[in-house]
Amino acid sequence: MLAHRVETLVQSIVSGVLTGSLYAMIAVGLTIVFGVMRIINMAHGEMVMLGMFGAYWGYALWKLDPFVSVLLWVPLMFVFGMGVHRFLLRKIIPSGELNTLLYTAGLSLLIANLALFFWTGDYRTINLAYALKPARPFGISVSVPLAVAFAIAIAVTGALYLFLSRTDTGRAIRATAQNPDAAALMGVSVGRIDMITFGLGTALAGAAGVLLAPSLYLYPTVGEILVVKCFVIVVLGGLGSVPGAIAGGLLLGLVESLGAVYVSVAYKDTIGFVLFLLVLLFRPTGLFGVGRS
Amino acid sequence: MINRILAVAVVALLLAVPYLATNPFYQHLMIMVLFWTLLGAAWNLLGGFAGQVSFGHATFLGVGAYTAMLLYLKLGWSPWLGLILGGLMGALVALPIGLICFRLRGPYFSLATLAVAEIVRLVALNWETLTAGPTGLLITQLPAMSWFGQPLNWESKLPFYYIAVALALLAMGITWLISRSRLGAYLLAIREDMDSAEAAGIDTTRTKVTALAISAFIAGLAGGFYGLYFRYIDPDVVFSISMSVEMVFIAVIGGIATTAGPIVGAVFLVTVAEFFRERFQVGHLIFYGLLMMIVIRYMPEGIWGRVRNWLPGAKARS
Repeated sequence: MLAHRVETLVQSIVSGVLTGSLYAMIAVGLTIVFGVMRIINMAHGEMVMLGMFGAYWGYALWKLDPFVSVLLWVPLMFVFGMGVHRFLLRKIIPSGELNTLLYTAGLSLLIANLALFFWTGDYRTINLAYALKPARPFGISVSVPLAVAFAIAIAVTGALYLFLSRTDTGRAIRATAQNPDAAALMGVSVGRIDMITFGLGTALAGAAGVLLAPSLYLYPTVGEILVVKCFVIVVLGGLGSVPGAIAGGLLLGLVESLGAVYVSVAYKDTIGFVLFLLVLLFRPTGLFGVGRS
Repeated sequence: MINRILAVAVVALLLAVPYLATNPFYQHLMIMVLFWTLLGAAWNLLGGFAGQVSFGHATFLGVGAYTAMLLYLKLGWSPWLGLILGGLMGALVALPIGLICFRLRGPYFSLATLAVAEIVRLVALNWETLTAGPTGLLITQLPAMSWFGQPLNWESKLPFYYIAVALALLAMGITWLISRSRLGAYLLAIREDMDSAEAAGIDTTRTKVTALAISAFIAGLAGGFYGLYFRYIDPDVVFSISMSVEMVFIAVIGGIATTAGPIVGAVFLVTVAEFFRERFQVGHLIFYGLLMMIVIRYMPEGIWGRVRNWLPGAKARS
């Protein structure tokens, strides 16, 4: 009996961490964009959706395994993100936070409905042969695609961390996040940094979409739910903070999977939203006190 | 002067439409235009005048819809009483929500309203003893009623059309009154600069909560109307994020903080979307997204805001 309980607990912690790592990856993309440009990108969920459909079409048309095609989609999403910033957002951002919020909400509706129009609203799945049977290390059932996605997510997030802390461009991004005017005075081309950051955020969202594709149903409006989860995560971790977004992502993954087991399946999503509201109201800098309010 | 003439012309046109368009599809289209006008006007009071962008107004719509439907289905109360009570219930629910969310500003307020709306949707989905959960509520028959001795035919669209006209005119009347009142001036002051408004002695929280309650009242009326017109509601429709978002688009594209903006936005967007939907079934919100981006980029005052400036006497108004 006790062994069984422990197994359930470990099982839900493992699946919470695996899902949480991918949430974290999406949230990191949202939070670096916020940190540098002070905008909340309502279309971030659609970038994840595009990644998912990239994985789907890669698999359906060319038999490409999503974990291979991720190498193709990530650079493409990076370029796409830079294009969105260069041609759509650049002129809007100076006109204020609320205008940008509404503009990106429009962009989100546009992308999701174009996808709906061209790809229909059918639920699609990617059925990988090795996904049928879960691996069972130590008697715990682990979904293989989710475990691979987890490993890649850690590698990508680690690489991003090194990029931000070790390279000149990374330092310039962090400098711009701290103070765009001062960064500009130090010779940082803020416009270019903004564009690169938006590309990075988009690439992270797209990568997470590709990695999630084998484990979720995909449909054009999936971004709506994901972006709302993402808001929860970045607020939990402190808007603008990368470590906060990672911790918040893992926390939300755990809250959802433990909540489903120990509270109720029906209300597992509610717990996240209630936490979100409480943090917004009482600790607007985030649970870990690292973000800026 | 020209505004009055326009207003009279619009009202006359609205009353005459069912005689000009006897095809039920066009009548349905007009009812949807008026329904969205109502929601756009509701959102506009808070989002347009006070600059508080709510992404959670479906909450009030849903509460209104469930109030009207439940009072009729469970207690047998007149649906039309239920409609009004639905509006009042929306306003009542708005008070605690406002007190919580208005502690936050700008985009943070928007995110909080989104979270509240999702919490309410999940509760409605799971509180099955009250709401019947995902099954939704269905009205099989509306009670027999008469109007000046004539029995109303609920199978035709006409009674609903005239109710929708009355509600939309009410919403626009409220907007017009507020735009000329002290409350309206306070709201604009809050939109322009919350701290200065506060420093000038405006109780900003109270003002915003008042605007939210009025706004939620109108959204609640719209919800009650939705339930009675479609005779079926479920949480994933009336409490959905897309409901919340669509009304934002109607108001912003039509022209924020204007009386006629919501109806202009609704006429424009609903007609385009419905014709698109007739033809292609899915993806009709493409235009909403596209127009939102164009409006924010090139004419933040919205379609009506732009047109209004071309009318004679535009300089006299601000």
